[in-house]
Amino acid sequence: MTAAVEFRRVERHYGEVRAVDGVDLSIAQGEFFAMLGPSGSGKTTCLRLIAGFERPTGGEVAIMGAPMGDVPPYRRPVNTVFQDYALFPHLNVRDNVAYGLMIAGQGRAPRRRAADEALEMVALPGYGARKPSELSGGQRQRVALARALVMQPKVLLLDEPLGALDLKLREAMQEELKALQRRLGITFVFVTHDQGEALSMADRVAVFNDGRIVQAGTPEDIYYRPEAPFVADFVGSSNLLPPEVTRRLGLGDGPAALRPEAVRLVSEGGHAARVTGLAFLGTATRLSLDLDGHRMTALIPRGADMPAEGSDVRIGWAPDDLHLMKVSA
Amino acid sequence: MKKMLRGATAMTLALSVAQAALAQEMMTEIGEGEGELRIVAWPGYIERGETDENFDWVTGFEEATGCMVRVQTANTSDEMVALMNEGGFDLVTASGDASLRMVAGDRVQPINIGLIPSWNMIDDRLKQAPWHYVDGTHYGVPYMWGPNVLMYSTEVFPEAPTSWSVVFEPQDLPDGQPNEGRVQAYDGPIHIADAALYLMTHQPDLGIESPYELNQEQYDAALDLLRQQRTLVSRYWHDAFIQIDDFQNEGMAASGSWPFQVNLLQGGGAPVASTIPEEGATGWADTTMMHSEADHPNCAYMWMEHTLTSNLMSDLSVWFGANPAVPDACTDGRGMQTAEGCTTNGFDDFERIRFWQTPVTQCDSQEQCVPYYRWVSDYIGVIGGR
Amino acid sequence: MTSADTSPASPVTAPDAATRLSDILWRRPRLLIALLIGPPLAWLGIVYLGALFALLAQSFFSIDEFSGQIRYELTLSTYAELFRAYNLDIILRTVAMAASVTVAAAIVAFPIAYYAARYATGRWKAIFYLGIMLPLWSSYLVKVYAWKLILAKEGILGWLFETLHLTWLLEAYLAIPGIGGNSLSVSWTGTFLVFLYVWLPFMILPVQAALERVPPSMLEASGDLGARPGQTLRHVLIPLALPGIIAGSIFTFSLTLGDYIVPQIVGTSARMIGQAVYQYQGTAGNIPLAAAFAVVPILIMAVYLWIAKRKGAFDAL
Repeated sequence: MTAAVEFRRVERHYGEVRAVDGVDLSIAQGEFFAMLGPSGSGKTTCLRLIAGFERPTGGEVAIMGAPMGDVPPYRRPVNTVFQDYALFPHLNVRDNVAYGLMIAGQGRAPRRRAADEALEMVALPGYGARKPSELSGGQRQRVALARALVMQPKVLLLDEPLGALDLKLREAMQEELKALQRRLGITFVFVTHDQGEALSMADRVAVFNDGRIVQAGTPEDIYYRPEAPFVADFVGSSNLLPPEVTRRLGLGDGPAALRPEAVRLVSEGGHAARVTGLAFLGTATRLSLDLDGHRMTALIPRGADMPAEGSDVRIGWAPDDLHLMKVSA
Repeated sequence: MKKMLRGATAMTLALSVAQAALAQEMMTEIGEGEGELRIVAWPGYIERGETDENFDWVTGFEEATGCMVRVQTANTSDEMVALMNEGGFDLVTASGDASLRMVAGDRVQPINIGLIPSWNMIDDRLKQAPWHYVDGTHYGVPYMWGPNVLMYSTEVFPEAPTSWSVVFEPQDLPDGQPNEGRVQAYDGPIHIADAALYLMTHQPDLGIESPYELNQEQYDAALDLLRQQRTLVSRYWHDAFIQIDDFQNEGMAASGSWPFQVNLLQGGGAPVASTIPEEGATGWADTTMMHSEADHPNCAYMWMEHTLTSNLMSDLSVWFGANPAVPDACTDGRGMQTAEGCTTNGFDDFERIRFWQTPVTQCDSQEQCVPYYRWVSDYIGVIGGR
Repeated sequence: MTSADTSPASPVTAPDAATRLSDILWRRPRLLIALLIGPPLAWLGIVYLGALFALLAQSFFSIDEFSGQIRYELTLSTYAELFRAYNLDIILRTVAMAASVTVAAAIVAFPIAYYAARYATGRWKAIFYLGIMLPLWSSYLVKVYAWKLILAKEGILGWLFETLHLTWLLEAYLAIPGIGGNSLSVSWTGTFLVFLYVWLPFMILPVQAALERVPPSMLEASGDLGARPGQTLRHVLIPLALPGIIAGSIFTFSLTLGDYIVPQIVGTSARMIGQAVYQYQGTAGNIPLAAAFAVVPILIMAVYLWIAKRKGAFDAL
C-alpha cells in the first residue's frame, strides 16, 4: 500500500536556520501518527510542509504517492485543524463547517446537511447558527475538527489541537479523537509537544529535535527503548545516567535511561543513595535521590515504607529496566 | 487661506446681527494708535514690498504710527462680506457690490470726514459715490477704481478683440481654433452684470438701463447668455492666482479679468494684453470702510488719511493697473504713476464703466428688480449646467 | 498570613494629601473615570453638539425672498429649496463624487495595506508609514495646487502623454462627456484624482490596521479548505477587513462630501456641497440654506452607516 505521507530527504531552510534538516518519513494509511518535540524542533514545519503552507528547500514530500512539489494547499487532499482553530469570525458555525463545501461548489441544501452531520459527529448538534465567538474553547476545537472532517480528507493534520484546552477537557478530547480516527479510518498526523498526549494516542511517534527526527517508533519503543538521551529525557521524566556514572557503577559503557517507576528501595545490594526530597503524588511518592553525586528520581508506590528526608537508602532495579543507549548524542 | 465654515459660525452670526442693531456713533476725535490694524483686502491691494520690493506702502505707515498692519485677503465680494460678518477686522477695501450690503447690515460705521484732513484731495467724481454715501452719510474713503478688462493672449489675437462676444458667443478665434474651452469667466454672481452689459448693446430692445437693475425678462435673457457661455468655459476663475496659472498652463485665449493679473502676467513675460471692448466694461470702485466694532479705530483713521496722502495711491495704481481716488497721485510724483499711466488705466473712461453695485429689489430704474440673493443661486445653477 | 498584625511597625502610615486623594480614587473607580472623561465629554457636548444644534435650528428658518433677511419662524421651506433642480444637482454631484472616490480609494488602498500588514517588517514598515504619512504633513493647499500643475493642459501629465505619443488617447478620454473636459485639470476626472490622492491615507491606515488583526492562519485555513487565493480574498479577507474599509470609507466619503477647496481649484467650477455651503453662507446671509446644505452630508453619513450596519459590516468586530 502506498504511504499516506512520505518525506524524502526533506529540508526547509530559512537562510542559516535549518528548521527541517533532512527528514525521511513514511506515514501509513490509516495510521495515527504523532510528531513530538519541543518548540522549534521542526515538527510544526513538517506539518506545514504536508499542508503546503511551506515549500521544501530540498527533498520531496509525497501524499498518497503523488509528489506535491508544485501543488498549492488548495489542491492537496489534506485538511488541517489549526492550533488557534482559525474559525472564520464573520461566519456562523454551520457556514464555517460548510466553507470547504461551498468553495467546492456544493449546493446550499446538501452542504447544510453535511455540515449538520459533521457537527453531530463532533457532538455539537444544534450549534450551527451560533457565532464562533459564542463558543467555549473546547467547542471551537470541535467545530474546527468538523470543518476539516467534512471535507473527507485522505490525511487530517492536527497542529497542537488540544494545547489551549484545560486538563480535563484535554483528556476527554484525546479519547474522542482516538475513537474518531478508528471509526473513520483517516490518517491523522498530530503535532504536539506533550509526550503524554503523543504516547497515549498515537500508533507511532516521531521525536523531533533540531529539525531532525531523533527516533520514530511505537509509543513503547519510544518510552522504554529510547535510542538517544534526548528521547529518554524528553519522553517522560526519565532518569538519564551519563556514561561516567554507568561506568563507575559497572553498569555499562554508555549513557543509560532508567524510568523513575522502575527504581525500587531494597534492603540489601543495589546502590547507596541519599534521599534529598519527598513529594506526595497520591498513588505514589516521588523521591529525589543523590546517587553517587548524580541526581535522580524514583516513584515509590503507596504502601511501602517511606524513608525520611536526608536518610541513606539503597536502591535497585530489574536489569531489563535499565536501557543502555548505543549513541552518545 | 479661507475660513472653514463651522456650525458655530451660524450661531455667532445670529448673535452678532442682533448686537449690530444698536445705533452706531461716529467718532469725533482721533486718539493714540492702538498698535495694530487688521484689514480685509483684495489680493495685491496692501503691499509691503514682499511680492516686489518696489511696491511698499505699509512699512512707512507702520514706522510713522506704530500701527502694525495685518492683512486678510479675500477673492470675492462675498468672501469679504463673510469675513466682515465674522468680525475681528478694522477695515475692508469693499467694492460696490459689497459695500451697500455691509451698510445695510450695520457691519460698517459712518466715517467722520472731518477727521480726515486730506478729504478734499479726493476725486470729485467719487466723493459722494452712491456705493458709500448713503442718506447723507459717508461710510468710507474711496480707495481705487478700475475696469474689469478683457484679457487676451496676444498669440491668439494679433489685434485686440473689439467685443466681449469672444467670451460669450461660440466662434473661431483669429488663430483658426474655436473659443470653446479656451475662455474663462468670473466665478461670482456679479458676472451676470457683465452679461447684461453685453446685452445692452446687442439686444437693445430688452431696455436694460443698468446691468445691476434687471427685471425678470432682462434677467432671464442674461442667464440664457450665461448658459451659452457655460458651454465655452472650462473653468470659472475665482482666485486671481489660479487665473494667472491657467493663462500660463491651460492655453487660455481670453477672459474677463483685472488689470492686476494682466500686469503680473506681463511682468512674467507672458504674451497677454488687455482692452476695454466697445460695449464698455463693468468695473469696481473700492472704498475703505470701517468695521462697526473695530478694535483699533484710531489706527483705522490714521490709515485712511495715509491712503490719501502717501505714495499708496500712486504706486498701487501702477501695481494693480487701476486708478487712484486722488487725481493728484497721477501727476505729482509722490509715487511711480504718471499722467500717461493713468490714461492707460482708463482714468478718463470713468463714464464708460458700470461700477459694481449690489442688485436690490427696489431699484431706481424700474419698478422691481431681481435681487442679489437670486443672482447667487441662479449663477450656481448656470455654472452647474442648469 | 498574619505578618501584618504581628509586625512591630504598622505598614499603614498617616497618609499625605496626595495619597489620600489616590486612596479615594482607588476606592471609587467610577469617580476616577468621571474625572478622566468628564472634560472631553463636556467639550464634545457643548462645543460640538451645541454648534450642531445651532446649525440644525438655523436650517428651519428661511430667508425672505425680497429683503434677503432671515425670518425667524420655523419652516421646512428651506429644505424644500434643496430639492430645486440646481441644488439637487449639487447634492447628487457631490454624492456621486464621494462614492466614486471612496470605491477607488478602497481598491487602491487594499493592496498597499495588505502589503504593509503582511509582508513589510522593520525598516520597510517604517518606510511604509513614512510614505503614507508624508503627504499628510505637507499643506493640503500645496498638494492641491501641485496637482493642478500636474493635470494642467501644458502640465506634467500632458507632457508625459505627449512624450509617449499618446496625446490622442488623452484627447479621446477628455472627449467623453461628463468626465472629460478641456484638460484634466478642468474635468471631473481631475477633481476625482486629486480627491483620491488627498484622502488615500485615510483609507490605507484603517484597512491596514484591520488586515493586521487577521491571523495568518485564517488565510491558510481557507486555502486548506480548497479556496484559491481569489476565493480567499472574497470570502475571508475582504469580509474580515470590512470594518477597516468601512472606517476608511467614512473618512473618504465624509471628507469628500464636505470639501470645498479641491473642486474650486481643480474641476469644472460646478459646485459641490461644501462650496454651496460656503457660498450661501457668505452671500446675502442665506444662512438657513447653507445650514440645510450642511445637514445633507450628516444625513447621508447616517444613512450610509445604517446600511453598512444592516449589511453586517461590523459583524467581525
